Parts: sequence; structure tokens; C-alpha cells
Amino acid sequence: MAIKLSGAEIYDPAHKINGERKDLYIVDEKIKTNLSDKDKLEKTYELDDCIIMAGAIDIHTHIGGGKVNIARTMMIEDAHLHPYSSSEICRAGNGHIVPSSFTTGYRYAEMGYTACFEPAVLAVNARQAHMEMADTPMVDKGGYVLLGNDDFLLNMIHEGATQSAINDYVAWILHASQCIGIKVVNAGGIHAFKFNQRRLDVDETGPTGSKPRDIITKLSKAVHELGIAHPLHVHASNLGVPGNFESTLATISAADGLPIHITHIQFHSYGTEGDHKFSSAACAIAEAINNNKNVTADVGQIMFGQTITTSGDTMMQYFGHDHASPKKWTVMDIECEAGCGVTPFKYRDKSFVNALQWAIGLEIFLQVNDPWRVFLTTDHPNGAPFSSYPHLIKLLMDRSFRNDVFSIVNSDAQRVSNLKSMDREYSLYEIAIMTRAAPAKILGLKNHGHLGEGANANITVYRKQDDIEQMFAKPAYVFKNGELIVKDGEIVKTVQGVTHVTKPEYDQAIEKPLTKYFDDYQTISLDNFKISDDEMVECIGSEIEIN
Amino acid sequence: MQFQSVTCPHCGLLCDDLSVEVSELTVQLNNPLDPTCKHAFEEASLAKGYRPNPLIAGKPASEEQALEKAAELLKTAQLPLISGLIADVQTCREALALAEKLGGVIDHANGASMRKSTSVMQRIGEVKTTLSEVRNRADCVVIFGKNVTDKFPRLLQRVLSPEKSLGNESTKSKKIFIIDISQDGVTRCEQKENITYMFLNYPLLESIIYRFQEIITKEKISNHDIESEELLKLFKIISSSQYTTFIWTTSEFKSESVEHTVQALTEIIKLLMKKIRCVALSLSGSKAEVTANHVATWQTGVSLPVSFTQGVPIHDPVIYDGTKMIHNQETDCLLWISTYNPNDAPPATDIPTIVLGHPKIQCEYADVYLPVGVPGIDHRGLACRTDSVATLPLQKLRDSKLSTASKLVKNIYKLI
Repeated sequence: MAIKLSGAEIYDPAHKINGERKDLYIVDEKIKTNLSDKDKLEKTYELDDCIIMAGAIDIHTHIGGGKVNIARTMMIEDAHLHPYSSSEICRAGNGHIVPSSFTTGYRYAEMGYTACFEPAVLAVNARQAHMEMADTPMVDKGGYVLLGNDDFLLNMIHEGATQSAINDYVAWILHASQCIGIKVVNAGGIHAFKFNQRRLDVDETGPTGSKPRDIITKLSKAVHELGIAHPLHVHASNLGVPGNFESTLATISAADGLPIHITHIQFHSYGTEGDHKFSSAACAIAEAINNNKNVTADVGQIMFGQTITTSGDTMMQYFGHDHASPKKWTVMDIECEAGCGVTPFKYRDKSFVNALQWAIGLEIFLQVNDPWRVFLTTDHPNGAPFSSYPHLIKLLMDRSFRNDVFSIVNSDAQRVSNLKSMDREYSLYEIAIMTRAAPAKILGLKNHGHLGEGANANITVYRKQDDIEQMFAKPAYVFKNGELIVKDGEIVKTVQGVTHVTKPEYDQAIEKPLTKYFDDYQTISLDNFKISDDEMVECIGSEIEIN
Repeated sequence: MQFQSVTCPHCGLLCDDLSVEVSELTVQLNNPLDPTCKHAFEEASLAKGYRPNPLIAGKPASEEQALEKAAELLKTAQLPLISGLIADVQTCREALALAEKLGGVIDHANGASMRKSTSVMQRIGEVKTTLSEVRNRADCVVIFGKNVTDKFPRLLQRVLSPEKSLGNESTKSKKIFIIDISQDGVTRCEQKENITYMFLNYPLLESIIYRFQEIITKEKISNHDIESEELLKLFKIISSSQYTTFIWTTSEFKSESVEHTVQALTEIIKLLMKKIRCVALSLSGSKAEVTANHVATWQTGVSLPVSFTQGVPIHDPVIYDGTKMIHNQETDCLLWISTYNPNDAPPATDIPTIVLGHPKIQCEYADVYLPVGVPGIDHRGLACRTDSVATLPLQKLRDSKLSTASKLVKNIYKLI
């Protein structure tokens, strides 16, 4: 049985299709560009007033794991303000800033997203992260597992382990945690914080004798040599610190030209100029991205209002805890692996720093030339909840709207930013690149993010409107694997996505030192640390798809 | 048949280094030889060929009949309550779905004590750590309450006295202090092996903690009594340590002051954190409350108790406290889920009660009893550890043919 999507403007950058009107077909779960004789047409959608893109993919959104549950618990105010009742097909839930798991899935689908990736999975907490994501319906999921503050790797580096042994460990942890990528958060810094070190720059030596630079170099090499599609996903050193753009540039250089993804780069693009000793270094950062083809970045745009910051970066979350609003904060050291910090925060448009942070994010978006290498994120919920994406898209696509918003923020911030002088407006084609085609490419998801023959039928249909924010907030139709799941921005059918993983080959001899490490130092056995494929299905509740 | 790396779900530590011998339906813990743990495992043993019957009003019934009766009782209730919730992740998931469908309330048997810590977290936050961090990083450990190590029997061996440590000699041979009140009114500090027992002449453990907070805040003492001198000494030891861990369990505190006491401890830690590393390890989870609370929080966005009486998940720990609802007869139908231990029966009550329980649970008085398998013995499952970070797998060790609680809850859901 086939479905015809007739007459819409198609935006499919993977195939260089930029707004051409053409028909698309859905046959079972897949996209077809033409029907064969045996395909029986079941339904036709006349979409002359619509545009079509592939289902959107969020490459960096905190939707599962211990820190998210801490945030939910701490932000009881958010739950009280935003309760959602159940319907015949949807489960009840709570929360706008850190929604409950079911609610998260529904809200993403209602915006036309069909896949979301949790960027900070602690291997020891991976079961919980996957369980939460298994209870997040509608979208496919995946996780990046944290390395770079774990004692096992730091000791390997300190003891001069071969790159090949490090590669084996990296591959092993991907299998053990059922993840698709490797994430580093403040390389060595979370570990150093456990020794009461309050700051660690890229070329400083941490307590085990290794430098963050060494960690980035070894891990980016491991990811590259193992053939993992997603580059090393790096939360750089010194998040939020004025002058940190230099650490960011040093982190980029640590990859030695190999692929590296710098996440929520807005938080790492600060200078120290001006009366406030806080300035935009977006220009220098954008230039570094433009000049280094191995670098990709997501922005981590902030939006004004209440949110909560959740991060693995205990060191920098503690550094910023005085700014908590409301005044409460949690930090946690975790299992000789990593940590987490959770702090509510209210971004204020009349605050110089917050207004400039807002401008810096947009400056990066507008100054990075290649939309295939810059990604649309708010580092949900750290910069803002993911539900602000349609607003962000409007800020990127509509210069006059952007300038209108900027004109009401802190006047000092307006004075020192050159945002108003930036003429660029993103096109629909570029939005389709940064939210669909490029995320799929950077994650190695061959059947996602495009509308070509044989792709998974994850399709978002928007009815054209003058108000681009409204258009992106409420798609006319969303199809997931060929099934209509959203109509006019509302859920009409609930579905369960898969968990995307990658499983590079490795030498299993790495389990010998790992077994000893677990026996000697850990409080969980190696056997119980690893998550098997059948456990993912039987106990955790999600099918896996190996990429 | 021998099983290795078995997880013990009988306290929040979830030790997973157990060796268990299973012969038909008999379960024998070989190692470690911890009596509490051993007894808990042996309780799961069943006589050969034994399969407990579902009961309706104390009389044997088929599982199908018992499920139908359970569904009928729940469906006709005005305000059903699901409690106990001493279960694995999957059962908690199904129970939440059922509570939502019923428009009822769901809570854990230990909910009331658990949420006192939660409310402190919601007010000021926390500074926490996990078992392996304590094992490898801590050189100084302060335990508040002399019974903590009895309630978590392998804490000393598995966490506080490791044979090896990633740190140095001081993290291997930790300075351990156990603080409590003196029973005879005489302050005494005694060293036994590597543990210093500080029994101080205060009326309550809480009084010690508040006094300690005062000393740490002022960094000096105003009264030069022996108790204050000892606490000042301890403060100085903490100040010169690399990584101090405060350990407590709220059941050691007076129930009416738990919230205040946990807040005082958290404030002490946050104050110390300005200069040094100090963290909390609050122990709980002996009845799987960490598991239940985690699942509720991610599925509904709020912690237990959760009421669905108004169609949306509402967290109001005063109105919807499960224990109080049973005591005050504010619920007209109780579904009690208790899978790990035969002793965790529902409180005696006149309220119509359905029990999904351990095969040896004593609940003849229940209107409906459905025996269920023990997670980690009769079927696979998942359980969350006291530190809220590690989730441990529970193995299937025998083939008892007992239904899983999750399956039965799901079946009740389908009948409603």
C-alpha cells in the first residue's frame, strides 16, 4: 500500500533539491520517488500549499539519564505549571523545561522531529538513560557515552597505553553502553574537581598527570580510526568563563585535524574585552570553524526565561552555582567515571551577560558559512527548552524580526554586539540542512535526514505561512516510518522509535585489564556493567538499530 | 546450578558479587556469608512442585478469575491506591500506567521517609557521590548513626574498607567516624580498628548535627565542653582531608525532624565545599523505593506520590501520602505490590485489598491474592541503586512458572 504526497515544495539538501515541486510516495515504511505497478495507492495528500522536509533530528538534547531526573525533581515548579492530561492515545505528563519522558516524545513529534540524541550518557547510568528514552515515544533515540574523565582511560593515557589499546577501550564502551558516539565533557576537569581542583585549562596537567589536550587528541584519533561516523563530541574546557574562546581554539587544535564536534559552542565563545570584562568572541570562533573543515559545532542558543542547566561538568556547574535561580543547586561525583551538576537558571534580557550570550549564539549561526557544519540546538534544557526551536528558526530566517527582538535587550549588549549589522537570513534549504541532512550525515544515519529512494519515511509537511515560527511549531503532517503520527500539530498515533547504536570491532583482550579494574576498584561487576542487545529489548524496552 | 555475579535486591547497595546455588526451586546463597542477605535469599526457596494458588477471599482461584476480580474491585473504586511498589522497573512502569488509567494514586511503602530528602533537594539541592567514588576517593568518612552499618550490612566491606583503591594509602585505609549519642550520658570516643566511635552526650543524634553545623559555620567553639571539643577536632580532620563523605540513612533520625536534619547536613557540606571536597552519600532503597521513585519521576515528571485523580500527574505529598490514605481510609481499594520479601505484606486494613505478592507473603485476609515471581530469582529485571546512578540487572535463576508482577498488572490494565 502506498501514500502519495502530491505537489509540495521539497527541501532535500542530501539530494540538492531546493524547493522543487514534486511528488513523493510512501510505501510501507520507506520513501519511494516513483511507484511500481504492484504498489497500490491508498491515499493521496494534496499539498500544493505545503513544503516537505525529512523528519528533523536533534543531535544534542538532554532527554534521559540521572541528571535529567534530578532536574525534574528539583524543578517541581515546572511540573506544577505545565501538567498534561492523558488522552485516548497519549500518556499524561508534566513539564515544559524538563518534561516527563512521554511528554518529551510528544512535543518533539509535534514539531516534526523524528530522532533525538542524548549527549551525556554515563556508562554506569546507561541503563537508566536508555530506559527513560525507551519511555520517550514517537522519536528514534541514541546516546553519546562519556569518556575523558574516567579513571580507566586517564590511567591508560598516563601509563602510555598504545593508541590501539585506547581504540579497543573506546569500542568496548560503545558496546557496553549501547551508544552511537563518544562524548567528552571538560576533558580531565570533572576528574580534577574530585581532587578539589577548581579549574583545568587545555594544556594544564590534571591529577593523573595527563592534560586535556592529550585526552582530546587520543579520543579523536580513536573515534576516527574505529570508523565511528560521529566525530568526537566535545564539551570544551572552561564553559561559561570569560576568555574561554582560547580554550575552545586550543581544543580544536588538539584534534590535530581529525573530525571534532564542539558542542554548545556559544557557551565557549566568550572574550574579556569591554567594561564588563565579558565580550563576544563569536567572530574568532566562526572563523576557526570556517577555516578548519574537520570542525563541526552545535550552537546551544540561549533564550530568555527560566530554564535549568544540567551538565556532566561538575567543575563548571559548581563554578556557576552562585547564579542559580531559584537558589538551589546539585553537584555529584559519579563512579570514577564522571559527574553531573544541575542548576536552575533564568536568562534575563535586561542582563548584559545574558543578552550578549543570546547575541553570541546568533552571531555564530550567522558567521559560520557552511550550514552542513553548524547545528541548531539550545543544548536543551541548558540554553532553553527544545520547544523554542521554531522561535530560533525565525530569528535565523528573519533579519527584521531578529533586530526587533535585539532592540529590547540590554542596551550595553546591543552596543558591543555587531549582530544588527549582519544581513544574513537563513533559507528553508539551509534550515533543512542544519536540522535534517547534516545531523543524519554526522551521525551516520544513512536512511534518515533525506527524502531519497529507500529512506525511512520520516517526513514532515509544513503548511506555508507568513509566520515562520508558527509554521515550524505546528506541522500539517508528520510521518514516522510511513505512519501518520501528527496532524495539524497534534498527535494522532503513538509509535515507538528505535535506539541507534554503533558497534565497531575491537580486540576483546581489552576485557582482561578491564575485568581487573572492575574487580579491584568498582562496586559493580564487569558482567553487570555491560548492557546486552537482548537486555535492551527485554528489560530496557527498546529495539536497537546498528549503524 | 551455580550462578555468579548475582545482584542482591534486599538493600539499596545492590551488591552484585553474589554466588547463588539453585536446585529446582531451592535457592541457597553461597557467598558472601552475610546473614541478612542469606536469609532473604532463602526466603525465596519453594518446595519442589510447589506453586502458590491465587486466592479470592482466601479461597483458591485461577489466575484469570483473580485478575478479573482485581480489575472489578479497582474499576468500581472511587479512589484506588497502588502502593507497596516493592518491585522492579518494569512492574513500576506498568503500575504507573494502571494508576493513570484508573485515575488513582500511586505511592511507595517507604514513600513518606523518602520524600523528606526529596523536599530538601527541591529547596536547596544536594552534593552527592556514589559508592565507587567513596571506595576510591574518600579518605575521611563520617557516618551519622550507629546502626547505619547494620542496615547496610556490606557497606564497610564493599565500600569503606577496600583491599585496593585508585587513590593512595589514605583512601585505602580511610579515617572512619561513626557518630551517635552516648547511651549512658558519658561522652566517649573509642578507636576500634580503623573506626572511631564518637558517642557524645547529647539528647539526640540531631542535636549533634546541629551543634556540628554551628561549629563549622563559626569555625570555632564558644563552649569548651568535651563534646564541642571533639566535634571541633573532627572539623579540623575534615578540613585537612582530601575527600570527606558524610553517610546517613534517614531512618536513624527522628521522623519529625528528618527534613530539618538532612537540610542541616546538606548546608554543612555546601559550606565546606567552598574550600574543600565534601560530599553526601544518603543510603536508602532497602525496599526498592529508589527504583519506584526514579520510574515515576521520568514517566510523570514528578516524584512519588503521584495522583491522577484530576487527569494530570499531581505530586502532593501531604494529601496523597499512601500510608496515611490507608490509615485514614481515604482510599476505597488498595493494590499492594510486594515482590522481593514475604515480610512486606500490606498493613492490616478493612479497605478492599488486592495483593500482587511474593509467593510466601502472608495475606490471607486480602480480597484477592496473586502470587508473583521474585525479580532476580524467577525472572529478569532491573533495579536502581541507593546512589541513584547505577541500575543493576537482576537475573533469572530458576524456572518456577510464577507470573511476573509486571505481566499481571498489565493484564489488569487490559481488563479495565
